Amino acid sequence: MHVVWLFLYPIVALVVGVLFLGLSRKVMARMHWRYGPPILQPVIDIIRLFSQRSASHGRLFDLGIVLSLAGSLIIVLFLPFGDVAPLSGSGGLLVILYMMLLGPLGIALSAGESANPNASIGISRKLMLAIGYELPLLLVLLAFMSRYNTISIVEVVRLQRATGWSIASFPLVVSGVAYLLILPAILAIRPFELVQAPQEISSGPMVEYGGSYLALAKVQHALSMFIGISLSVNLLFGGASHPLIFLLKMLVILMLGLFVNAAFPRLRIEQAIRYLWRWPSLIGLVGLVLAVVIGR
Amino acid sequence: MDRNQLVKWLKAPAKMGHKYSLHAVYFCTGCGIIEVPPSITARWDAERFGVLPTATPRQANLFLITGYVSVKTLRAIIRTYEQMPEPKYTVGFGSCPINGGMYWDSYNTIKHLDRYIPIDGWIAGCMPRPEAIFVAVTHLWTLIDKDMADGYKRYRKHYAAYRANQEKVLRGLDWPPLFPVEEQ
Amino acid sequence: MDRALIDSLSSTFDALRVEVPREDRLTVQAPRDAVMSVLSFLKGRGYDHLHMVSCVDWMEEGQFELVYVLSAYGTGQDSASNPGEEIILKTRIPRELPTVVSSISLFKNAEPYEREIHELFGVRFEGHPRLTPLFLERDYEIPPFRKDFDTRQYVEDFFGSIPPVGEEDQDV
Repeated sequence: MHVVWLFLYPIVALVVGVLFLGLSRKVMARMHWRYGPPILQPVIDIIRLFSQRSASHGRLFDLGIVLSLAGSLIIVLFLPFGDVAPLSGSGGLLVILYMMLLGPLGIALSAGESANPNASIGISRKLMLAIGYELPLLLVLLAFMSRYNTISIVEVVRLQRATGWSIASFPLVVSGVAYLLILPAILAIRPFELVQAPQEISSGPMVEYGGSYLALAKVQHALSMFIGISLSVNLLFGGASHPLIFLLKMLVILMLGLFVNAAFPRLRIEQAIRYLWRWPSLIGLVGLVLAVVIGR
Repeated sequence: MDRNQLVKWLKAPAKMGHKYSLHAVYFCTGCGIIEVPPSITARWDAERFGVLPTATPRQANLFLITGYVSVKTLRAIIRTYEQMPEPKYTVGFGSCPINGGMYWDSYNTIKHLDRYIPIDGWIAGCMPRPEAIFVAVTHLWTLIDKDMADGYKRYRKHYAAYRANQEKVLRGLDWPPLFPVEEQ
Repeated sequence: MDRALIDSLSSTFDALRVEVPREDRLTVQAPRDAVMSVLSFLKGRGYDHLHMVSCVDWMEEGQFELVYVLSAYGTGQDSASNPGEEIILKTRIPRELPTVVSSISLFKNAEPYEREIHELFGVRFEGHPRLTPLFLERDYEIPPFRKDFDTRQYVEDFFGSIPPVGEEDQDV
């Protein structure tokens, strides 16, 4: 069963991520008072993109996108999905923290090869944004690690089952709030949609992507969405004992994210960094201090 | 989705993908572009047809040429068209790309756009209403179904002739041919 | 319109025809050589905004008419100018030898207007830094905005000469 899940889980994550994309397009459309596309529209798009001819811009262009996708697929294996956690024995939060950089880095390598000025602006924004949310994310994860005295995310989920959700327990609620504040940046939705920003830098790093490259990039985007939401459910909302309940919790977080997405305009990059390094980092630091002091 | 659709999806997923995921490239040539914002936003909502504007030609497969085409714009149109990945579909919007429209006797406006790039369909009118875009999209679906939206194949086949016309009107192009042009 | 301005205009320059067709508008007809001095005089009187430069082709009279439209921002302290007023300066130049001194030294924003007039009417502006094509991609024997340019004939000759592509295998 373990081995089966090792192969099945990334596929499930892909399907869920792509469906979330479709759902978010539909929900956003309904919020705009539009009818909206069918929920399977991203699937249709991906089929279309895979069957189109595509232009490559060099070897690194091909490899970077694969690196990004592979990085995202591997993090998925480290995240518990209900009671499924294929690579639970090793690494844990630290590995996740490191691997989360692979997604932006791969895209940056790949898009940099295309030598388009819009792509360069896009990747510089993407890496800046990654640096922006890595700091508060590290503070939040450190608080969790010191509170639960473990680096294993499976252990964190198991302990929450005994003591209740960490967003509802005292010292960790501070870190939880910090995490929720940076969640839009991790998911790259508005107000942190500045990496793609089709209206100003013609979809940024994606500007030279066509055909199957764009399809892979879309799949990677779907996966990174899955990872961001799944990490928050595992850390803050107690994970779940069954994959279906887990999915339900993820859906709730996605909806919250979509409300934020629909309500806010896009920030500029320096505003985004200023925001990320001010309030979430500050709250994260307070949360870390509290977790360490009260944990003693 | 009825049974017929399902069979079609199973038989030719790529074709159905092209049909229901027409991503149009943002390209404002003339006055017709003013009809596009209402058609992609809440009033007419093109996204329910799978039509979505994209910011770059690499991601697109539908090229709406909205309004008159001046000689200078033609250069940009050809570049954009050649950057789009195949299969790609072109629709001329409004009467000006068809035959020059009210700019027929202008010294600097292209009269017949289909002599420079292949066009899969026309929307007549000055201006066509946004609904006409959706009529065109549904017509394009039928054409794709019957393999009649073959503009990109015609471009490949008659590339030498198209390139000759482009060079004639633009007095030489500053980029190499997209396909090899055999000397006659 | 300020009476003093009209008086000082006609006393400073001879061979000017000054008219007031409307209450807030002044038309000045100047010979070609006086254009720059009239422009700088008006600029000194507070009319410091050049709306546009335009050109009219009077083919029967064998002349081009350049039209400079000036108005005032009304920011000068001691200027007698009123922001609502316009001064239209016209000058006639012969069609055979259409040259005139560029007004860029007085008004920087004249650059694209003069470039456009050069392109579409073939008027040479002396002292203009770049009289390169602005809109047109092709060369025309006669600049296309001149009255003797036959657009219809040009369209039939040139655009009619471009053959349709691949008509034979379209089954429509």
